[in-house]
Amino acid sequence: MPLISTRSLTKRYGSSVTALDELTLDVEPGIIGLVGANGAGKSTLLKILLGLLPATSGSATVMDMDVATRGPEIRQFVGYLPEHDCLPNDVSATDFVSHMGRMAGLPAAAARERTAEVLRHVGLYEERYRPIGGYSTGMKQRVKLAQAIVHDPKLLLLDEPTNGLDPAGRDEMLDLVHRTGTEFGIATVVASHLLGEIERVCTFLLAIDAGKLLQSAPISSFVERTGTLGVEVEEGADALAERLVAAGLTARADGRSVLVDCPDERPYDIVRDTVDEMGLALTRLEQRRHRLEDLFRVEGRTDDVA
Amino acid sequence: MTWREAAVAPRESATGAIYDLGYQGYDGPRLGRRAAVATLFWASLRAAFGLGRSGRSKIVPWGLTAVIVVPAAVAGAIQAIAPGGLSPFNYDNYLWDLSPILALFVAAQAPELVSSDQRNHVLSLYFSHALARSDYALAKLGALAAALFILALAPLLVILFASIFAASDVVAASGDQLQNLPQIIGSPAIHAVPLAALGLAIATFTPRRAYATGGIIAVYLVTGAVGSILSEAGRGRLSQVAPLLNPWVLLDGTRDWLVGNTIPDSPVPRAHLDLWVFGVLTAAFTMIAIGAVLWRYRRIAA
Repeated sequence: MPLISTRSLTKRYGSSVTALDELTLDVEPGIIGLVGANGAGKSTLLKILLGLLPATSGSATVMDMDVATRGPEIRQFVGYLPEHDCLPNDVSATDFVSHMGRMAGLPAAAARERTAEVLRHVGLYEERYRPIGGYSTGMKQRVKLAQAIVHDPKLLLLDEPTNGLDPAGRDEMLDLVHRTGTEFGIATVVASHLLGEIERVCTFLLAIDAGKLLQSAPISSFVERTGTLGVEVEEGADALAERLVAAGLTARADGRSVLVDCPDERPYDIVRDTVDEMGLALTRLEQRRHRLEDLFRVEGRTDDVA
Repeated sequence: MTWREAAVAPRESATGAIYDLGYQGYDGPRLGRRAAVATLFWASLRAAFGLGRSGRSKIVPWGLTAVIVVPAAVAGAIQAIAPGGLSPFNYDNYLWDLSPILALFVAAQAPELVSSDQRNHVLSLYFSHALARSDYALAKLGALAAALFILALAPLLVILFASIFAASDVVAASGDQLQNLPQIIGSPAIHAVPLAALGLAIATFTPRRAYATGGIIAVYLVTGAVGSILSEAGRGRLSQVAPLLNPWVLLDGTRDWLVGNTIPDSPVPRAHLDLWVFGVLTAAFTMIAIGAVLWRYRRIAA
């Protein structure tokens, strides 16, 4: 039984905007990255799965329940972190998360107990008794995650969980998402327009573009090693490429990097020695992998996807 | 290992006092939709009186509660000091005379219950839980109606107890007064539900609290003023029925019809209509208002 399954799922807003276009997919439990540019239909898909939006046509099931008819039942077992702000200002995180736990059907005592637990898990301590209005964006994002897991959902839908966070906050949030998916064992769908984030935490990738499914495969198949060595230098990439070619390697300059084909170990020493002889400032030496960006490059739209 | 044992057992090879409880699943009962609605109702009722909120949110509801009770208490005290004196207030005219207090309570607290959820997009969290959209709307309506019922009942209870304890024969007075129970319960109930529906119907159409409060007051003022102007300026039949534009007149007529007696200074008798007409019109505007609230929550983006 797939966790999520859609058949020809279509959503149109008005007559002109098509958010989802005949989307058919099956998703097994795991940490699933749902990636696409802004406006690709990620949020629309999540909202339909929650039963918040009706589909124009087609069908979708979550845990074998039809979203159109069994919404309230599904929502008891689903946690949702919306993309936008969704927190009141005048109540404390403790009161709010516990209230939301009860909205998900927990008895009062269980809601209180689990609130304390999930707030500790997301890293909110003394501040949890203060009104949410005074929180930083990072703290608010933690509260949003806490309310999504307070009722121990079977499925967690996270819509841009790192929205508005600084790099450190991003890292912490991604760690939390990863722990939630692995240690807590909650099947998780992470919608993001940032491929790098998906790559870091997810095991499976769904790429959608303009409401259509672009790719659906385990993440490992995208990031296999390619046998290409990337040599990034401060300057002189072109000269380095020429010298490496002269030394018998297959190499070409690509911006500040030189890409060297490495069928075996031999090129490493040559690259090291050549860089040293030329006195270049070496900034990075890395084994290139297939990048997720390539997915979108094929389609010719890399603009929003970084 | 239970979580309590885990709580006191340091993690293996822990170097400091770091306790890792790990993540605990939840296998207990899930009470579902009805429990969620009941919880939202109680939470909203508490919020209507600012309970569990900051001191600032208590000022308006408790201030208005004090203001609506004080005249009844003063009248009661006077009766106790000078028995036999005629009190200006009774169960019939009290809510009519103090209707502005009920109006202010609706104008202030209807937005308190619904505006911030809309403005802060909390609705998308509510609707992504076990609740249906109509559940949310009805829980909020019920909470506001219950709050208004309590507010309107309080002074009538003060009158009741004052009458009982000011009497020379408390037992006989209790018997007499308890016959008024249908009025004491019925009159607040007749006011609470239509006022809550009307107030919420206006408040749900804007996420801005100030607009909602202003809108509710404007509806009272405009309907009241137009009714008065038409009844002053109009002639004949028009001047008699014009006050029916005012929701307060409809409420008073309904109260008159179902549980009470006619108040001399009310426009109700001057309309020369059967009292059931007031009841039907009140029911009609209440149903329309409830319909508007439900419609609004079905449409609202979340």
